[in-house]
Amino acid sequence: MAATTDTDHEEHTAAPGSAPPDRPRRRGRIAAAVSVLGELLITAGLVLGLFVVYSLWWTNVVADRHADRRGDEVRDTWAQDPPGRAGPGALNTKDGIGFLHVPALSKGEILVEKGTSMKVLNDGVAGYYTDPVKAELPMTGKKGNFSLAAHRDGHGAKFHRIDKLKKGDPIVFETKDTWYVYKVYGILPETSKYNVEVLGDIPEESGRKKPGHYITLTTCTPVYTSRYRYIVWGELVRTEKVDAERTPPKEIR
Amino acid sequence: MYGWIWRHLPGNAWVKALISLVLALAVVYVLFQYVFPWAEPLLPFNDVTVDNQ
Repeated sequence: MAATTDTDHEEHTAAPGSAPPDRPRRRGRIAAAVSVLGELLITAGLVLGLFVVYSLWWTNVVADRHADRRGDEVRDTWAQDPPGRAGPGALNTKDGIGFLHVPALSKGEILVEKGTSMKVLNDGVAGYYTDPVKAELPMTGKKGNFSLAAHRDGHGAKFHRIDKLKKGDPIVFETKDTWYVYKVYGILPETSKYNVEVLGDIPEESGRKKPGHYITLTTCTPVYTSRYRYIVWGELVRTEKVDAERTPPKEIR
Repeated sequence: MYGWIWRHLPGNAWVKALISLVLALAVVYVLFQYVFPWAEPLLPFNDVTVDNQ
């Protein structure tokens, strides 16, 4: 794909260059200025086109590569420390705390890491909130909201298909020892980016009034812009112990 | 502009074409590696979190 783009670039850059020698050299200054302006505009167009290629394709390539490597590292750490035995691997939060499996979003798994800064999310992972509202991690067993963010486009675009999630769809979070099975119960297709209430321990906008084990997915909407935020809420249905083969729960089989 | 570059490249048309291709690739590399990653956070396309800032 990069090669095609380069060839295009090459053709455009070469074409104007090959024309002038045939023309008389005494073209007026204005004509020369107009031609330079035209070439600059063509260049600008090409650069913008390349930026689109970069945003929607190249960042995905880089991010997926990175996320795959990180995911493998996490799995390696887990493998060194088989399930059931609570070792230091269980709370190793540096490389990632677990994987999100959402069949409606993607066939693959989404690595979950700490933080929602661009630096974290650009690696093609989902991040759990530490700011402005701290996410309650499911491993603690405490009631609260496990709030996550990921990119809608580019950089892995892990939540690209968030609008395909419907009520009742499973969201499964996999840690070293446990599968946490959530079910989607609330969707907010458009909200202000300042609406931090959606991350609350009890996300009241979703209709729930009592403390519980919630999960919140946030990303930007509409696609290709960041005008609003798209929110999906889920609730813990059950947990399942990870067995020796890491058999996934029936929801994602 | 591009005409000027073309005229100042050494060699015959094939060599010029080859050098132009290498130059174009270099430009794309610099854009992808340095310019776009720098420009991206300045553009409002990729903010996915809710915050109160």
